[in-house]
Amino acid sequence: MIMIEALRGFAYYKGVPLWRHALVLQWTLQILSGVLVVALVTTFFTNINNTIQDREIPHGFSFLSREYQTPIGQHFLPYESSDSFLYAFGVAATNTIIVSIVGVILATALGIVVGVARISGNWLVSRTSLIYIEVFRNVPLLVQLFFWFYVVLALPPVRQGYVFADKLYINNGGVSLPWPSASNWSAAWAWLAVVLASLLVAMVLHRVLTRREAHTGQSSYPLVSGSVAAVAMSVAGWLFVNAAFGEAPFAISDPAPQGTFGRIAGGFTISGGLMALLTGLVIYTSSFIAEIVRAGIQSVGHGQTEAARSLGLAPMAALRHVTFPQALRVIIPPLISQFLNLTKNSSLAGAIGYSDLANVAKTMTQTAPAVSIYLLLAAAYLAMSLTYSLIGNLYNRSIRLVGN
Amino acid sequence: MFRKWLILAGLLVALSLVVVGCETVDTSALENEISERDAKIAELEAMVMDLEGTAEMPAEMAGSRLQTVLDRGKLICASRNDVPGYGFLDEAGNNVGFDIDLCRAVAAAVLGDANAFEIRLITAAERGPTIQSGEVDMLVRTVTWTTSRDAQWGNYTQTMFYDGQGFLVQKDLGISSSLELRDATVCVTQGTTTELNLQDFSNQNDLNITALTFEDTDAVVAAYQSQQCDAFTNDRSQLAAISSAFENRDAHVILPETISEEPLGPVVPHGDEQWYDIVKTVMAILIYSEAYGVTSDAVPAESTGDTKVDRLFGLEGSFGQETLGLSQTVAQDVIGSVGNYGEIYDRNLGPGGINLPREGGRNALWADAACSDCPKGGQIYSAPLR
Repeated sequence: MIMIEALRGFAYYKGVPLWRHALVLQWTLQILSGVLVVALVTTFFTNINNTIQDREIPHGFSFLSREYQTPIGQHFLPYESSDSFLYAFGVAATNTIIVSIVGVILATALGIVVGVARISGNWLVSRTSLIYIEVFRNVPLLVQLFFWFYVVLALPPVRQGYVFADKLYINNGGVSLPWPSASNWSAAWAWLAVVLASLLVAMVLHRVLTRREAHTGQSSYPLVSGSVAAVAMSVAGWLFVNAAFGEAPFAISDPAPQGTFGRIAGGFTISGGLMALLTGLVIYTSSFIAEIVRAGIQSVGHGQTEAARSLGLAPMAALRHVTFPQALRVIIPPLISQFLNLTKNSSLAGAIGYSDLANVAKTMTQTAPAVSIYLLLAAAYLAMSLTYSLIGNLYNRSIRLVGN
Repeated sequence: MFRKWLILAGLLVALSLVVVGCETVDTSALENEISERDAKIAELEAMVMDLEGTAEMPAEMAGSRLQTVLDRGKLICASRNDVPGYGFLDEAGNNVGFDIDLCRAVAAAVLGDANAFEIRLITAAERGPTIQSGEVDMLVRTVTWTTSRDAQWGNYTQTMFYDGQGFLVQKDLGISSSLELRDATVCVTQGTTTELNLQDFSNQNDLNITALTFEDTDAVVAAYQSQQCDAFTNDRSQLAAISSAFENRDAHVILPETISEEPLGPVVPHGDEQWYDIVKTVMAILIYSEAYGVTSDAVPAESTGDTKVDRLFGLEGSFGQETLGLSQTVAQDVIGSVGNYGEIYDRNLGPGGINLPREGGRNALWADAACSDCPKGGQIYSAPLR
């Protein structure tokens, strides 16, 4: 009898049977899912390990310091075939990051325009935008990329390309334009540091003057003063660096045809593959962003617009100052997903001849263990995506409703 | 809140310690077990030695590649369908080509049916991972034999075609040598030895070549044809094959220099020597049938009086069929359905295909077997069948 009483004592906690006690149930669930996760991860790695050993698949990371000795088509960082695998990986990652950043900016701009057009009162504008969205978001991206690849190929070849004032070259090899180039990098970096400092000063100045204007009601021209300060400091810095190093930090380099084949050297060339890739990615992603923007704007109560209009705000001003800031809260989280999609979708670049990270990594599997390369590739994309998420979430936090 | 997480983290750590701990059991018990197993293994090995002595070697060991293929009822080859002559689709939509025929020959040898095969289409860059993982039985996709691929990818069986890398350019550029490709942009398929050789060639000759790399050969060809690049580099035979399909074939020329060695042949996954030997033997059957002058329309079913021919077609003696787990008359199946090396060459790469010259070149036979003292000057040669 006493035994049973003792057991009952164990089976009950604060008068509730253990199998119905919220705390016990929660903890059991937590521990069970913990075991499951650990077991899954362990199985996964054991499996990789066993397969690698059974099939004698090469692995390891010692190749990273070896010379890569393989060409990379386009690169924004300087690259030579005697550079290491690790550096080549970085060069390729930079190619992807640039596509991703430029693509995100352009796709967002285009997406907002199309999204706003979609809810325009103008029938033609709204229908055009509808067709744009439905066409581009419903055709597979790879098909679109090949379409733009062939559009670029349809441009005249480099030796018969369009030339504007010997400065701008457009052909199927790409678009080449004048670009600042530095001959002395220490001078260039010195000046860039000055520019950065002047921007900081300008921002502080802008904030101080804005506050003064708000407090005293006196016109203080924060934007004008800030810009003037930044420009003045930058110019002074340029002159100083010029005097100190004996040469200008940057000179404009003009593109020009070179050699037997008339390939364009100098200046800056956006290669044909990059053009096709960016066009495809931007148009595809912007059609999704447009729908997100439309949904965001429509989620703001109509009363807000009416109130803004009755206060005397013009339609565009009402959108800009009243509707859009509120819509932003709904727009930002799915927008971040689109940025991530764009970044990851850029890995299709290999199909149309742009040397993005995935493309170069696949080439690397020729002379380095594929397992290691794909692990690195996954880690690199994960790092990029997490960085985007982090920035996006920080921004999202800064605009959310206060007190929420 | 914070405490709750701390407890959870502690629990997880404890849990993983338990999992790890499970693997470090009492070692003395294990050592006992190991020595017992060693004894058993020695016993088994002795038995196997006995069996070998009595010539009843169990060829089809459980879990072998051969058994897998037999159970599956078809052979899986990784190949391509975008280059005429090597791997292409005919008008009826069938896979045809030199590489495809090598796959058919192995299917005929192992399963007795040259059509019991499946082609897995892969890009050049996917070749390494595909054969490394062992998901295909054989890789025949214009694969160049190199030492690092032999070490990393799988086992190269036999060189079935000797090729070398060249450049295709448009005639109106007016260049006559690959050494004039200074500052040129060159299109190349990703994941190929040509991609690697291109860099070496550019460095050695200080040519500053820019490579434009595409995953698919189709995209390379499109870029070359619209002059996004000045030259197209690949194995010479593939350049000939691909340009043969151009509308304005005469406006293009393959530059005379051959910048690399590209021996091509089938590859099998690492780790199964029996399978490796089988594929090598099938390749030898193709080569020696040509050397003996036996074609698909005259496969001997009874003794011809020539010992070598009789041995090849299983009418007399043996060249190791049983040990490999192949049927005695495997050569009859292979040659009867696919033809000998010369027939395969003529059908795909010779007059019946993309018309690459063979006579007197490297891809001629080394010698006719009937007349081993009168070499034909080629390099196609394999282990003798006996």
